[in-house]
Amino acid sequence: MSSRKVWLAVGLVSLVSTLLLLAGFGYAVRDLLAPGASTPFRTAEPEPETSPVPAEGYRIVALGDSLTKGTGDATGEGYVKQAAALIEEASGEQVEIINNLAIGGMRADQLAERLQADKSFARALTQANLILLSIGGNDLFQFARTETGSGAAAIEPELAAKRLEEGLGRLSDVVERIREVNPDAKLVYIGLYNPFYDIPELRGGSLAVQDWNREAYRILNEQGNAILVPTSDLFEETIAFHLSSDHFHPNHAGYGKIAERLVQSLVP
Amino acid sequence: MLNLLPLIQNETLKVWKKKRFYVIVLILVVLIPIFTYAQMKMAQSSEDKDWRSKLLQQITDYQNALSSDRIPEEWKTQRRVMVQQLQYYLDHDVNPNSPNAVTFTRGFLDNSITLFIPLMVLAIASDLVSGERTTGTIKMLLTRPVRRWKVLLSKAVTLTLYVSLIIVTTAVLSYLLSGIFFGYHGWNQPVFTGFQVQGSAVDSSQVHAVPQWLYILMQSGLIWFSAMTVALLALMVSVLVRSTAASIVTMMAAIIAGTILANMASSWHSAKYLFAVNLELTNYLKGTPPPIEGMTLPFSLLILAAWSAVSLIVSFVVFTKQDMMN
Repeated sequence: MSSRKVWLAVGLVSLVSTLLLLAGFGYAVRDLLAPGASTPFRTAEPEPETSPVPAEGYRIVALGDSLTKGTGDATGEGYVKQAAALIEEASGEQVEIINNLAIGGMRADQLAERLQADKSFARALTQANLILLSIGGNDLFQFARTETGSGAAAIEPELAAKRLEEGLGRLSDVVERIREVNPDAKLVYIGLYNPFYDIPELRGGSLAVQDWNREAYRILNEQGNAILVPTSDLFEETIAFHLSSDHFHPNHAGYGKIAERLVQSLVP
Repeated sequence: MLNLLPLIQNETLKVWKKKRFYVIVLILVVLIPIFTYAQMKMAQSSEDKDWRSKLLQQITDYQNALSSDRIPEEWKTQRRVMVQQLQYYLDHDVNPNSPNAVTFTRGFLDNSITLFIPLMVLAIASDLVSGERTTGTIKMLLTRPVRRWKVLLSKAVTLTLYVSLIIVTTAVLSYLLSGIFFGYHGWNQPVFTGFQVQGSAVDSSQVHAVPQWLYILMQSGLIWFSAMTVALLALMVSVLVRSTAASIVTMMAAIIAGTILANMASSWHSAKYLFAVNLELTNYLKGTPPPIEGMTLPFSLLILAAWSAVSLIVSFVVFTKQDMMN
């Protein structure tokens, strides 16, 4: 190519590029400083559900607090992933964890509100045929969120009774809301345990936990198609082997035991 | 103006014949397929999942990170902003990461603004003057009956043209090459912009959707502005320093230092007056919180413009006064 042709090509292309970029720059600055000029976004009509819910297999959505999230399990599996593997092994069917929507520190009232307000939560739930739920621990043991506070605030009897009542009301809201969104899926609720069983002055907390579990069972029983997986006995005699170093959440082995129980009651 | 045009033509051809631009194109042609492949692998690994489930999971994971006490406050702010933006996409049923060539181009440009584009600009800018001194051709240039400032002006104009060319080439090549794998669609996919970050909260009242092609145009315009600052600074260094290698190293060090600072200097407030901290103009478009509190788009533009102006003045004063012959 002759020099003149190169000059014409390069000069012209780069001149056009410069003008284009200047226009883009001007538009960007205007758009960022005075955004009122643009038209608001028209929400697309929700497209029809593309994936029809298959009849076979397990599709899991897990909800709740740090227990479902798997806090304390060094491998990060928690009971949800371990249970999924065990179900697949025991039933031979395909198991898919669609979402694990657990958030550490979540209380039942927060979850109920989230289920109400966040339609993406509800959308995920409709895709499941197995819903795993753990909630209530933070309602009952509010003090335990503090890092050093193990035992700082023991469950005082009258306070515990008040929390119990409040918490159970919230749990009932959560279960009701889940049923509204997805009436067909099997709901599995992980029962509470007393993480302070080995501290003599806090052993009485187990009574509050038992009361909670009994009432929770009543709520689930009314709804039907729901089961409660008991866990409190795993954290009594063998508590040292099943709790992680934070002395609140289970460790890998503890989650493994919970997962085993879950599978025992789900898969024949 | 009329006698400037031949000078610009001369300069443009000189840069072209040095084959620097070929090298830039070659680098792009090698790098873009690598990134495309990586992105494709990433998309494949979770292909069977619905994007809404993935997005919801991402939001949940961020929220879990937020509840940890050990995470620094700035990270939390960033995560909080991310959560609110992703939630906005989810609520409006728009997939922010749908794999196509236009989305890839948007992501590639976004990631190249701090280091990659400046590096390519330096490849051309850093020896505009110092290169001629090394080879001695500066004498031939300056013994012609042309005023010195015109010579430097023609070099600056040529530099501007090449900066534009580099950015447009990067965008076009990444579209063309990634399209082989992802398909050439996605021009009109909506992108949300106008998130206003205030402290740790996001004000989404000004949020509006723009088609992706327009977003890329705006993005490229902002990249052009920050690339021009780098180019003009490099021109100044190239006037001041005799060796091309020294001039590239100086500029690279400044830019890399800036990127590192932007990641860690949030409590050192006066760092926001450094040019390199302000290079990432596209952040304002995306709505990610600025590296240092109090930085806004007008502020960054002003800082970059000031640095450009100073380097232009220094370049011209030195170039017209300096003894170039030895």
